[in-house]
Amino acid sequence: MELIVRDLVKNFDKKEVLKGASFKFSQGRIYGLLGRNGAGKTTFFNCVNDDLKPDSGSFSVEENGAERPLNPGDIGYVLSTPVVPEFLTGREFLKFFLDVNGQKIENIKTIDEYFELMSILPEDRDKLLKDYSHGMKNKMQMLVNFIANPPILLLDEPLTSFDVVVADEMKKLLKDMKMDHIIIFSTHILELAVDLCDDIVILSGGVLKKIEKEHLDNSEFKERIISALRGEDDE
Amino acid sequence: MNKTLRISFALRITYKVNSIIFALKSLPLINKLLPASLYASRGLKGFALVIAWIVEFFSVFLGKGLYLFSMVFPLLGTFSVPQNVGFVHCFTFLTIVGGFMNTQAFNPTKDKYYAIFLMRMDARQYSLINYVYFIAKMFVGFMPFTIIIGYLTKTPLWICVLMPLFVCSVKLIFMAVIIHNQDSVKNVYNENMPTKIVWCGVLLCLAAAYVPLYFGYAMPIWLFPVLCIPAAALAVFCTVKIWRFQDYRRIYKKLLDPTSPVFAGAKSVSQAATVDMYQKKLDTDITVTSSASGYKYFNEIFMRRHSKLLTRSAKRTALILLCIVLMGIGACFAFPDIRPDLSELVLENLPIFLFVMYFTNRGSVITQAMFINCDHSMLTYRFYRQPWAILSLFKERLKYVAAINLLPALPLALGLPALLYVTGGTSRWWDYPLVGLAILAASVFFSVHHMVLYYLLQPYNIEAEKKSATFGIVNWATYVVCYAVMMQDIPTAIFAPALTAFCVIYIVAALVLAYKLAPRTFKLR
Repeated sequence: MELIVRDLVKNFDKKEVLKGASFKFSQGRIYGLLGRNGAGKTTFFNCVNDDLKPDSGSFSVEENGAERPLNPGDIGYVLSTPVVPEFLTGREFLKFFLDVNGQKIENIKTIDEYFELMSILPEDRDKLLKDYSHGMKNKMQMLVNFIANPPILLLDEPLTSFDVVVADEMKKLLKDMKMDHIIIFSTHILELAVDLCDDIVILSGGVLKKIEKEHLDNSEFKERIISALRGEDDE
Repeated sequence: MNKTLRISFALRITYKVNSIIFALKSLPLINKLLPASLYASRGLKGFALVIAWIVEFFSVFLGKGLYLFSMVFPLLGTFSVPQNVGFVHCFTFLTIVGGFMNTQAFNPTKDKYYAIFLMRMDARQYSLINYVYFIAKMFVGFMPFTIIIGYLTKTPLWICVLMPLFVCSVKLIFMAVIIHNQDSVKNVYNENMPTKIVWCGVLLCLAAAYVPLYFGYAMPIWLFPVLCIPAAALAVFCTVKIWRFQDYRRIYKKLLDPTSPVFAGAKSVSQAATVDMYQKKLDTDITVTSSASGYKYFNEIFMRRHSKLLTRSAKRTALILLCIVLMGIGACFAFPDIRPDLSELVLENLPIFLFVMYFTNRGSVITQAMFINCDHSMLTYRFYRQPWAILSLFKERLKYVAAINLLPALPLALGLPALLYVTGGTSRWWDYPLVGLAILAASVFFSVHHMVLYYLLQPYNIEAEKKSATFGIVNWATYVVCYAVMMQDIPTAIFAPALTAFCVIYIVAALVLAYKLAPRTFKLR
């Protein structure tokens, strides 16, 4: 399966944010999306997730050699600031989520099994989400996206709020999941991108560009990424 | 002092100029004509500056004129005392209400916060300068209108000249009293959130301003100067106290605390504080739950855990309306003379109650709470935005919103027919159910109206600020239409069926529209 982005254009007032971005993302790979502040990473994600209507351009999915339009069910989007309904407890949120999405989920598990998956402790499961820490809210948000199991996962700065142990668990989880998914991962932490991702894509000047690692070692590769982000790279 | 005056004035004007430009920018058509670098555009700034000055100039007079020509002058003819006596009596008591409700210094506004805390201006100088300006505006602003109304009602000119002086004296006395009490009370006085005692005082004074006049009792005019002169003398003493007071910064620290619900009670408050206030209203008792499933489950928990926020004021309004209706019924027995008036109110002036239903409807607060405490986060999930999901939740919510708003409608729907009956009734039996039906229809109408507007225009952005100019225009239009209808005398035999029919048609149309369009329009901005 592939996600194909074609000639994506998005302007705000007169500011051109995306100027014809095109890319082909493939299943089985984790993409690290890098870009400077204000380069348009969130705009790009919002367009993919249909939160924003692009001015022009298209998204499609290629599956078994046939191309089809992108469906709402194809995408899971985990935001950098976790947003969860604070008036529900963790368990109630999962119950509600499973109530309304249950028929679409294959091999459904019990609520407690899902909590186990994210290592959320039994004593936290019946607390209001309002009283969850930032990292725990993020876990819940990530969890419902994992439960729905969409083939394409957009993760906006997902690991920064986790402590080192959880971040490590998440990395493993993402690596385990990647065979059946297209994972696009935006971050400002270069080490994380180079360490976790299979490909580095930068968003610069309103277009998407893959940075080839070729024969470079990690530190040379980082240099290349930074100069590309500075706009010095003219390949 | 002089510098503080200039800076605080410049700050306020800049703030107004930018608000004007912002307002222009949010108008759909005009927006296209404006340059992109709006706030730096000199021509536009100049234009907005002129408007800001004009607004400032008119603000000196306009509010006072509106106040006197709406709350005092038109009623003078209806009293059973001479107009000039009524004018002086009414003005005296309303001025005391103004002492509580319009203090300037204890109105937590953004410009105070900016000046004192962000710009680090001297709090005492800033407060005093602005207070002097406020008092001067009171004096200058009231003078022409008291003289005009005095001329129209044949009130002695020297009394009319004393009136603005009385306003200023009362304000100064109240200010000094509030300052004096600051240390002995826990919370700083906030004019937008009066305490129960203040409310009682306000209601008493309002009653004293109008009720006796209907029964032919009034304060004699000669008493006014007798009150005014000692008040002015006391005000001089109070001015000294206000001038010597040093702790303005501490007061404003408490009053303008962005995280405090006190600050959140203000209209012009930072949005973050409003959001915070709504979030604090969540009932954290997790045993309150629901046995339903899916969206019904979700909505029931939301409504039950926010029941205090959503229903308390509706219950209170219901109680107040019930008391008023019972008082009306009681009055019919105590003073049989007023029966024809009350009968006419129900049979000829029912449109007034449309306006009452407009004001008692909690729809806008409920939808705001829905957004801040629920949709604001849930709309980021794609499953929540699917047409089917939006419609099922819309249905569940509508039931609750309509039910909450029926609380204040019921005392009127049942009470007005009862009132009509005790006033001697009507020969047409169907007037009774029609009156009740019209009130209920109006209540459901406003509930649907608010919900549909919320779903079709979704006016809030992610910071829960209202960003839709269309939403503002529609709300304003609703108000204007209700007001215009209220001004008409329409016999209930026509109005009640017409209103009921209109409401039914509107409700059906709005629901069809919401079902067709909401899946596309209900999203984060």
